[in-house]
Amino acid sequence: MTNKKYTLITGASEGFGKALAIECATRKMNLVLVALPGPEIFYLADFIKCNYNVDVIGIEADLSMEENYIMVFNLIQELGIAVNMLINNAGLGGTMLFSEGPISFYKKQIKLNILATTLLTHLFLDTLKTNGPSYILNVGSLSSYFFLPKKQVYGATKSFIYCFSKSLNRELKKSNISVSVICPGNMNTNISVTQLIKTSNWFSRHSVMNPEDVAPVAIDGLLSKKEVIIPGRLNKIFLLMNTLLPSFIKKTLIGRQMNTLKSVTATELKEKTILFTEIQNSLTA
Amino acid sequence: MKILVTGATGYVGHELALALANQGNQVHIIVRNLISKNIPRHENIIVYRGDITDRSSIRNAMQGCAQVYHTAAVVKIFSKDPSVFYNVNARGTHNVLAEALDLGIKKFVYTSTCAVLGSSIQFPKKETDPRTESFDNDYEFTKYLGENLVKEYAHKGLFTVIVSLSKVFGPGIETHQISVNNIINKFIHGKITFIPKPISIVSNYCFINDIVTGHMLAMQYGLGGEKYILGGENISYDTFFRELRSLSRSRARLVPIPKVVIKTLAVIDWIKFLVTKKEPFVTVKGIRHIYINKEFDNRKAIQQLHYQPTPFKEALKQTIHFLKPEHHDQ
Repeated sequence: MTNKKYTLITGASEGFGKALAIECATRKMNLVLVALPGPEIFYLADFIKCNYNVDVIGIEADLSMEENYIMVFNLIQELGIAVNMLINNAGLGGTMLFSEGPISFYKKQIKLNILATTLLTHLFLDTLKTNGPSYILNVGSLSSYFFLPKKQVYGATKSFIYCFSKSLNRELKKSNISVSVICPGNMNTNISVTQLIKTSNWFSRHSVMNPEDVAPVAIDGLLSKKEVIIPGRLNKIFLLMNTLLPSFIKKTLIGRQMNTLKSVTATELKEKTILFTEIQNSLTA
Repeated sequence: MKILVTGATGYVGHELALALANQGNQVHIIVRNLISKNIPRHENIIVYRGDITDRSSIRNAMQGCAQVYHTAAVVKIFSKDPSVFYNVNARGTHNVLAEALDLGIKKFVYTSTCAVLGSSIQFPKKETDPRTESFDNDYEFTKYLGENLVKEYAHKGLFTVIVSLSKVFGPGIETHQISVNNIINKFIHGKITFIPKPISIVSNYCFINDIVTGHMLAMQYGLGGEKYILGGENISYDTFFRELRSLSRSRARLVPIPKVVIKTLAVIDWIKFLVTKKEPFVTVKGIRHIYINKEFDNRKAIQQLHYQPTPFKEALKQTIHFLKPEHHDQ
């Protein structure tokens, strides 16, 4: 009972994951941060530890590889850390025609977005039950409500997350575990996405939210046991319009919106050269 | 030694080029306008006409150099045409890096800004600390892109060092509308000065002489691929003006302005911009930056580069003397 409780966040070194980590730290929650191998996660862990006076543990793990789920789980067991909050944030985005994407990319996307969330939740279920009241936050997407072209696989993985979370929430009510799913719209998560948003249309530019503004909404929703969290007024209006508008209008609107979006994948964007040609394209466009 | 300095008509580049020339180096500089009054004049400085957005002009000036200081950048809070930030700060930096790698430059120092690191929370920010807020202006974002390009070229084999400057002040040429020098100048000449309220907000200020030496130390001792904060003391607006008042004996009135007031002014300024196309003096987004703590930790530079920042009081004294020479002659 005297044990400190920890919040586990995956994909924590940048974007929304980093914003969630900082938001939790401001609420004095101890953290276990999991991110891709590299020094960044330890820099972030040190920074949060010093500036927010909470305990932070950084773990390097590529969650698109199955063996790493067990590795993370075992490591946390060995350290004797009591996790009472699990935030499945790690994910891989992408906007492209289905024919454009390499199979390896889709595999990685499905593994990370679906498998990692499902299996990590399963692994930590007993821990969460013992440390209850516990919370699980899964990161879905607004795109799971709209069947957007160029977001087939991504949108489908997020629909999985949506169904999985809602169903699990009803199932786990008795076990004192609350499951929430957050469905954010466009976020300024990494530089390349920022760039992409700058080149797209009015709606995309105005509905885009900063991760540090979404994070408090996410944690508030999670702690108040909301099943589905929709951040942002414009996103809520958009969702309402979706239920009210006749489908033929929606089809044309969505078609027009997606045509303006260039095809981009998160992995490509790691290469700064591509980012660079993007800048050039947007300047000449 | 032959050394290229880009941005020599800017505040930092100008002083740096002169200091390097005074040490007996042959300094190549690239300028867009050959009759600019901001060109540093010295017998060891060779002026090349060019622009960092034009690769052939960079190559022409860089030929035969062993070292490059890339200080050129568009430094403003807002531009009518945001593509200028991308063209110069990102694409221009890419051009300079690509030519440096191609011409076998031995060492490359990139001048960046602490603004990329963002605001501080409880302790002064270190080089490796993450940024906690999203980018909201093209200047900071393109300087961040510039740093990423430098890191990319470090992987490609170029010996690079990044120096991050905080708010620079001290003797030198005037190149911006809103600079620390400008604020000091107005205050010591008795003009009414508006400061953000609460006056306890802390920022980091660094002296131009330290920045010039810091660049040279980074070139000499900096480790490849590393970044160093060249900062001075972290002090509040309150302390800043108290020191300034006691040193200059200025009787200028200080008026603390709450955020709402400046926000209103920014909105008015924005409407003015929409009507007259005159670039705004303050922007609503820009305001956030003067109402948050921006403390930086210069210990890495002190330990690894033997950087020795001048005490704030001493730096301020020299600056006042430069801006109001008669004050000390009386």
